[in-house]
Amino acid sequence: MTTLKTESPFIALSGVSKTYRTGNESLPIFTNLDMTIQGGDFVAVMGPSGSGKSTLLNLLAGIDHADTGDIQIAGQRLDHMGEAARAAWRAHHLGIVFQFYNLLPMLTAAENVELPLLLKPIPASVRRERVAKVLDLVGLGGRGKQNPTRMSGGQQQRVSIARAIVADPSLLLCDEPTGDLDRKSADDVLAMLGYLNRELGKTIVMVTHDPEAANAANRTLHLDKGVFVENEQVAA
Amino acid sequence: MTFLGLIRKSAVRKPLRGSLLIVSVAMAFLIYGLTASFIAGSQGTAAASDDLLGVMNAAGRAQPLPLAYLPRITELQGVAAVSPITRLRGSVGDARNVVAVSAGNPDKLLAVSGKELGLTNAMVDALDDGRDKVLVGRALAQAQGWSIDDTLTVTAFRTRKADGSRDWRFEIAGIFDGKSPSTDTYFILAQYDYINNARGKNRDTVSTFALRPEPDVSPQQLAPRIDALFANSAAPTRTLSEKQFLSAFLSQYADVKRVVTLVVSVSFVTLLMIVVNTLVFALRERRFEIGVLKVLGFRSSRIMMMVLAEALFVFLVGGTIGICLAKLASLAAPPALGLVLDTNVALRAFALIFLLGLTSGALPALSAMRTPILSAFRTR
Repeated sequence: MTTLKTESPFIALSGVSKTYRTGNESLPIFTNLDMTIQGGDFVAVMGPSGSGKSTLLNLLAGIDHADTGDIQIAGQRLDHMGEAARAAWRAHHLGIVFQFYNLLPMLTAAENVELPLLLKPIPASVRRERVAKVLDLVGLGGRGKQNPTRMSGGQQQRVSIARAIVADPSLLLCDEPTGDLDRKSADDVLAMLGYLNRELGKTIVMVTHDPEAANAANRTLHLDKGVFVENEQVAA
Repeated sequence: MTFLGLIRKSAVRKPLRGSLLIVSVAMAFLIYGLTASFIAGSQGTAAASDDLLGVMNAAGRAQPLPLAYLPRITELQGVAAVSPITRLRGSVGDARNVVAVSAGNPDKLLAVSGKELGLTNAMVDALDDGRDKVLVGRALAQAQGWSIDDTLTVTAFRTRKADGSRDWRFEIAGIFDGKSPSTDTYFILAQYDYINNARGKNRDTVSTFALRPEPDVSPQQLAPRIDALFANSAAPTRTLSEKQFLSAFLSQYADVKRVVTLVVSVSFVTLLMIVVNTLVFALRERRFEIGVLKVLGFRSSRIMMMVLAEALFVFLVGGTIGICLAKLASLAAPPALGLVLDTNVALRAFALIFLLGLTSGALPALSAMRTPILSAFRTR
């Protein structure tokens, strides 16, 4: 697994504006938003509903476009890429963990984890090895053949994390990863994310409502009405 | 897991719906296989030759031609062999058990259509061994349970003997198989001289002259030259290839090919609507998953190919089952039905499977390709 530590910011948003338009109505989300995150950081983004947390995550994932501004991740300008290039970028550099896991129900846990590897020119035997390794890493060794719909929420989220890291991305985006879990499972998932950040050097941006989840990060950014409202908190 | 595995699992993710789709495709291709086999079989014209010519009375195929035309046709440049043919239709035993007898000159028959009918010198010698000897096609022999040395009596519908009897007794000297399974072998080959000498009326006339052109002569160019020979005679001729003749003969009753094409087309259009409708609905249920795949890095073009491949998978499995069932049916059907599912029919069926699979998958595939990720996520 690779670690990506850079001198310049790993993620740099500069003058990013985003407005949603519905008919004649406009809903501004961000106006000239700036943000930097260093490589290897674990950042929690908190804020009330409608503050722009999910939009920020969508922009970082390249699944939404900013109206203006620059979005640079690992030295690449996301806002300059076309759809196909962004898909290729996601396949190589990004892992995503969703609140509701978003696993494909017709596939086994191992097959779900293997999905990102299908996009890479890797022999099947190597794919299977990598899948087994990450399932072991998330504590689901030997459960690969199980259908995720028969797993608990915590287990499904761990499958989702395994899927997010199997292609060895440098950046993990987590959208309320503990939002659907009980406290114990949430703590397990947060411990797992902390491990991935500390031991494997993954840069993690996690959107959350949960202050306890935010405590697992080493920085917290507070968004309100599209702006960072106070100085970030840095974990001791 | 491979992409094919992913496609297969997606196609049958709802087993009942997937199975019903496959069954409906299988049924459509069963119908196609049977109708195409009918066209290709002995009831159709696919096996008929374009190289063999038949010279008939221009006034209609029921009108005879004088045997005296034979030397003039034989001497015409470009003609390799000619046999006079007179036809006799009648029944054996039960009046509904209709058989057709084509009577020709044994040696000339071998030269004209020996290759197509699978005739050998030994068969022709056996036919020539006695005037009432006949060769019976394999399909007819199997249908009637006849074998060599059996005797049979054909009660002719029209052709009477000089004594007024309509019963013609024959002895089976051999059984011919035809060049291929699609060759029509549901008839009897007899000797022209036997019928001609025994009949009370229309002696020294023929129903048709069957002829084979020289190898380097075009049948299409030879035909008008033959007709030109007799253009000013009392009985002008009309020369057609065997295939043209059979097509014209069948179209007297109905344009079989058009009817079959219509039936198949209607069933395929209906099938297409059902499958497209089902795939579109299935895709709507999966918009969220398509969004997930796109977030994981699957390009829109790859998603489109996957949805197309899913439709193709349904058609390939269903179509193959349908064609296999049609093949079994063609083997089990009585020879009189003349069902032949040969390589050509199978190849056409698989071309249709691919065409319909891609056509029915096109709309859902385009829709999947164009689905924006955020819009897909809102469907949850």
